[in-house]
Amino acid sequence: MASVLLIEDDPSVRRGLQLALSRHGHDARTAGSGEDGLREFRTHPPDLVVLDLMLPGMDGFAVCRRLREAGEVPVIMLTARGDDADVVGGLEAGADDYVVKPVQPAVLDARIRAVLRRGTSAPDGVRVYRDLRIDTAALTVTLAGEPVALTPTELRLLLTLSRSPGRVLSRQQLLEEVWEHGYLGDSRLVDNGVQRLRAKVEENPAAPEYVQTVRGFGYRFGPV
Amino acid sequence: MTDGPGRFRGLRARLLVAFVLVTVLGAAAAAWTGAVLARNALLEESRRQAATTIGGRVTAVAPTLDLPPDQVTLDRLRDAVGGRALVVHENRTSARGLDAGVLPDELRAAVRGGDRIVTQRVVADGTPWLLVGTPLVTTAPDGARTPSGIEVYAARDLADVQRQIDGLTTRALATAAIVLPLAIVLALLAARSVLRPVRDLRDTARRLADGDLGARSPPRGSDELADLTLTVNRMAGSVQTSMEAMRRMEADARRFAADVSHELRTPLATLTAVMEVLDGATDDLDRDAREAAELAIAETHRLVRLVEDLMEVSRFDAGTARLRVEDADATAVVRETLRARGWTDQVRVDAPEHLPARFDRRRIDVVVANLVGNALRHGRQPVRVGVCASADTLRIEVSDRGPGLPDDVIGHVFDRFYKADAARVRSGGSGLGLAIARENARLHGGDLTAGNDDGGGARFVLTLPRQAREPAPREEET
Amino acid sequence: MSDGARRGTPVPGAVPAVLVAVAVLLAGCGVPPSGVIDGGRAPTGVAPGPTLYFVGPDGELVAQTRDTGRLGTISDALALLLTGTQDPALRTGITSGGTTRVGVTHDGDTIELHLPLAEYDVTPRGLDQIACTALATHVQAGGSADTRVRVLLTVTEPGSDAGEPRGCPVVGRAAVR
Repeated sequence: MASVLLIEDDPSVRRGLQLALSRHGHDARTAGSGEDGLREFRTHPPDLVVLDLMLPGMDGFAVCRRLREAGEVPVIMLTARGDDADVVGGLEAGADDYVVKPVQPAVLDARIRAVLRRGTSAPDGVRVYRDLRIDTAALTVTLAGEPVALTPTELRLLLTLSRSPGRVLSRQQLLEEVWEHGYLGDSRLVDNGVQRLRAKVEENPAAPEYVQTVRGFGYRFGPV
Repeated sequence: MTDGPGRFRGLRARLLVAFVLVTVLGAAAAAWTGAVLARNALLEESRRQAATTIGGRVTAVAPTLDLPPDQVTLDRLRDAVGGRALVVHENRTSARGLDAGVLPDELRAAVRGGDRIVTQRVVADGTPWLLVGTPLVTTAPDGARTPSGIEVYAARDLADVQRQIDGLTTRALATAAIVLPLAIVLALLAARSVLRPVRDLRDTARRLADGDLGARSPPRGSDELADLTLTVNRMAGSVQTSMEAMRRMEADARRFAADVSHELRTPLATLTAVMEVLDGATDDLDRDAREAAELAIAETHRLVRLVEDLMEVSRFDAGTARLRVEDADATAVVRETLRARGWTDQVRVDAPEHLPARFDRRRIDVVVANLVGNALRHGRQPVRVGVCASADTLRIEVSDRGPGLPDDVIGHVFDRFYKADAARVRSGGSGLGLAIARENARLHGGDLTAGNDDGGGARFVLTLPRQAREPAPREEET
Repeated sequence: MSDGARRGTPVPGAVPAVLVAVAVLLAGCGVPPSGVIDGGRAPTGVAPGPTLYFVGPDGELVAQTRDTGRLGTISDALALLLTGTQDPALRTGITSGGTTRVGVTHDGDTIELHLPLAEYDVTPRGLDQIACTALATHVQAGGSADTRVRVLLTVTEPGSDAGEPRGCPVVGRAAVR
């Protein structure tokens, strides 16, 4: 059960998805434009936003950036075409995941649940790597004592990687564990997520210390 | 000209030969005519001079000759004539170096019967001779001329004249020979000026043939070649116009298909969303209504697939389909494709444990799923997927034990909306699956072919470069 | 038709044309035999003897052939004329002083005769005899009948026309006796 804000300009789609999400147990509120959506977001902050990219007036990318500036609310994009430009643009704007219209409500529900999940199955206390401190029980992260605000996806990505430092995880593994995608998930989600995570925890994102790239295979935490 | 000489050797050679022939023959004819005229003049001069000389010598000595002449008189006359000479009077002759036997009868007759000096050229033993013959006439004081019965013959060697004539002929031939290189140079220049427009036209035609419909030749002058050039330009113009119109229509048609698919998505998004709601509510409905709801759900799913396939095809048509290659294990991808669709138990996989390669996993999944799905639907089990690879080629083979593809179908299985058997209409296929599969293979730089197995049954073979490369990005999607 | 076949004979008929041209050219050189060709009037000048002119009974000029076996020169003929005739039926208008040597020069169309006679030795008929005899020999030797004769005497009377160029009234008409 989550409160979802659905920003979608087409009234039928909006209503249809609202109905479907309600049946999956979500409290779905709606908005018909980017401006309305942002207003609604401020008055009733939701747990998650489902955002159509094709909006009249302020488009989905701009709305997504505003949402990111406002906080760490998870965002799932609704792309009309599933085209690369939309996906790349949406991910760069800060979306956590995307689905392609027409989407089956069951699929959307699964994504929503995955994106909202913050912790991993087994908390194992506090992990400290130099300045980075990860509390796996409280699900908080501090860098040199300062708290770091992470979206649920970013947090899970960090938890998953740091669980076994030095071990390489393929994009496929990360997709399945963090995004709970099937085997054909879009690896760009991982790359984008890693990029955002680095921006928040690395001193120099261009020369990362904590989340390192293993070219041609995936990522690993450390070695620190 | 890069590869022109071979192409044009025939025409150039013919122009060259024709031009050189005409020029050399012309020069030779002129030289020859000159030589013949000079020869005739030489011969005439030598003949006239001989006749005059001999006539004059005889005339000079005649008043001193006795009539009727005795042998001494004839000898004197012969000596006066000089050279090879023969003097005849009745049965008496006086000869030196000239035998009466060699004189042609017609010459003897002309001399005996007339009162004129006559000449005749003969060739004896390869040497040309001029024979001069004349009767010696008695003139009365009143001018009446009567033959005296004395005949004078002389032979003059024409070897000198022959040598002069030979010299003339040699010079004529030399003139013709000198003209030859000049003629070749002129012919080359002429051929060049004729062939350049031909070559331009050829280049233009080749560019047209290669698809550059904007190619034109500038017409030069107003000759037949210029006419031809204008005609070719006009032809190219009309071809270009029709091609542009056709391309525009084709692009319009494709854009229309893409637009239609796109427009269908929004209502389909609503339908998809509410169908699930409906699906959960069918328990409350009566039997007919439930069946109707189930039909609506199934058809909505089919519609969604169809629209997605149409969108995919539109992307291929528009050239906006992107290849996203990554390192992957081909065997794992195939197994995963089967597993994800619940086909693992129905399909035998012959593959090495690991087969590393580089390709677009999503697209290859689509291809394999399509091929295996078709095999399961239309063929008979066991369906087999074989995966193997050489150093640079990855090969995925899907075969079944069904009746195979009829010959008339093999050529069309990749056509859009081609339905080989009526059952497919209800099978859930969009009619675009194989077309998309092949486009995906080609996007990788590979191919997909259809055929029949040796043991019967259809067999599709997907070949891919082992290390597929992402092509240079094309224009940005909109 | 293949490209190669065309290349083999660049211009059809070119080879025969060249052969014909060469043949014609070769035939043009050298000296060919000919038929009988006219070369002008036959020479003349043989005769049984010169023709001399004397004066007949009626004062007419009479031609007399002196049978010497050959025509001889004008000078020879005039020498015989000056010697006179044995024929009783004929007279001569020339009184010869014994010298019979006559100089003959040709000056263009005119024959000049230098006679060893004075004008009073020669009657006008005698001048005709001289002119006709000289002209007859000239014609018989192949000369032109239109040739004029100048009779040059040792002594001429004033106003005389003896030295004028003259023809012969009978050469070409007189019958040979």
